Amino acid sequence: MRYFDARIIENRALGGGYFVLRLGGCDSLSASRAGQFVMVRGDWGRDPLLPRPVSLLSVAPEGRADLLAKGIGRGTRLLEGAQPGARVSVLGPLGNGFPDATRETTDLLVAGGVGLPPLFMQAEHAARRGLVDRCEMIYGGRSSRDLVLMGEMRGLGLSTYLATEDGSVGRRGRVTSSLEARIDHHLASGRNSKLRIMACGPKEMLWAVARIAEANTLECYLSLEAHMACGIGVCLGCAVPAHSPPYRYTCSDGPVFLASDVVIPAAAGPSTRSAK
Amino acid sequence: MSLSGLLSQGGLPHLATRCGGIDFKNPVLTASGTFGYGREFEGLIALPALGGLVTKGISPKARLGNPAPRIYETAAGMLNSIGLENVGVEGFATGKLPYLRTCGTKVLVNFFGTTFDEYVSCGEELGKLDGIDGLEMNVSCPNIKAGGIEFGREARVLGELVRACRGVISKPLWVKLTPNTSDIVALARACAESGADAVSVINTITGMAIDPFTRKPRLATIFGGLSGPAIKPIALRMVYQIHRAGLGIPICGIGGIQSGLDAVEFLLAGASVVQVGTQNFIDPASAERIVREIEEVCRQQSVSDVNELVGALSPHA
Repeated sequence: MRYFDARIIENRALGGGYFVLRLGGCDSLSASRAGQFVMVRGDWGRDPLLPRPVSLLSVAPEGRADLLAKGIGRGTRLLEGAQPGARVSVLGPLGNGFPDATRETTDLLVAGGVGLPPLFMQAEHAARRGLVDRCEMIYGGRSSRDLVLMGEMRGLGLSTYLATEDGSVGRRGRVTSSLEARIDHHLASGRNSKLRIMACGPKEMLWAVARIAEANTLECYLSLEAHMACGIGVCLGCAVPAHSPPYRYTCSDGPVFLASDVVIPAAAGPSTRSAK
Repeated sequence: MSLSGLLSQGGLPHLATRCGGIDFKNPVLTASGTFGYGREFEGLIALPALGGLVTKGISPKARLGNPAPRIYETAAGMLNSIGLENVGVEGFATGKLPYLRTCGTKVLVNFFGTTFDEYVSCGEELGKLDGIDGLEMNVSCPNIKAGGIEFGREARVLGELVRACRGVISKPLWVKLTPNTSDIVALARACAESGADAVSVINTITGMAIDPFTRKPRLATIFGGLSGPAIKPIALRMVYQIHRAGLGIPICGIGGIQSGLDAVEFLLAGASVVQVGTQNFIDPASAERIVREIEEVCRQQSVSDVNELVGALSPHA
């Protein structure tokens, strides 16, 4: 983990408020794992004050790092408008990461909206090791505008299953319904490969994914998001309720957690499966 | 500029200082709750370059923190309600202190209790440990209903507590004051008269934030402590009020320091040393930079000894 200055090489708008920030000078991120993140801050004066935690999308050996974000709050909107050549301070790589793809496992990567980056990077790492066929992306959003980097995923040779709530692309409905369909498919296929779930996205989606995993007795990893000030386990702001100890920290214990380690809230309504 | 060039201009400014019974190589410390137990910053900052560090607040037994959400960012500041989570005296002595003994800077241990007796026993136990240069009592955390704020807000109670702790602690004893008071000078006076070696001014200011869409408070505990550059003018005012009162107790200035110039403002208001807090989250190497910037300010203003700046505020003509 290092604290350094990087330069924005390119800021590519993807529509729907999504953008990919390409940074140069990030040699110290080259060995990052999928699921790790960085704290990023531009020359913004005093408002917003704190750096922003942003998931890594991709890193390349020549010091290039790509970040995917959506302009939602003050910090991400400033990043959205950042110009090539601008300096940003970077602290990272931070946190843990997803377990590596293996020949013996099949990983269902479940991404909701802006939760795509760590799972894209997971698929990219699998592809580099010739294991892209050991994972598949189940990717959902409100509409087609929320689904980005489709060409890049095709380029990896990644099997992708899409879901949109308005039905504008892929299966109509929530990504969790698509996940259940893919689990059914794999379980019915009878293949001797351990099925794992790795998910990142809105909290409600993650809790639903965790409940589905539990119902099917599947190993499930969740990449969580939380307000944090430091990213290195000092401010203790990013506590998430856990079973033992009672709190874990998104930045230093996560952001990737085994779903069975954290407290998953009970479903507010009927489960996605019974609602079908 | 080269060292020889500097020396030909009259030499490097003298940054060493003494505050509250402790000699520091420079007047920049890091504040409790923003620097962990020091080791978290290894590789990000050269700890020997700092005047000192103040650990996270330690209580007699390990404590869990408050429910989430615990922090929220506000205009030029942040609210926190961490809940004084810490490893406890034993966890600190066995797990954290061995590293701190070798870290190359002065170590103050912040401590607290939830009862009068807990304060005294915690301070006494910590005071016996080798490798600690001084203790800083947290009497001002706004998050704990049973302790903290009640002790720190009332001068008489504060004085009794400081006197009791003083009786069992031979190491330098500092008291970190709450700004949530109408009379900061009365609190500082109570500390001075009860044997404290210095006062740290200020802790966070109680505040709150609301989500207008969900109509919920932004923090699980509703109230939290405001820190960051938003509170600097209040901190400066309180440091200056205490200095102007001439109580004879040294002051450690805290509140929104982001740069060497910010630190110099606190020195001019009457602080002998300063602590960098929330800025450690924004730039983990900032305390080291602030030391260099103070040195630069001294050079620019032909100040040969940083102690010349302490309380050197010039009134308007």
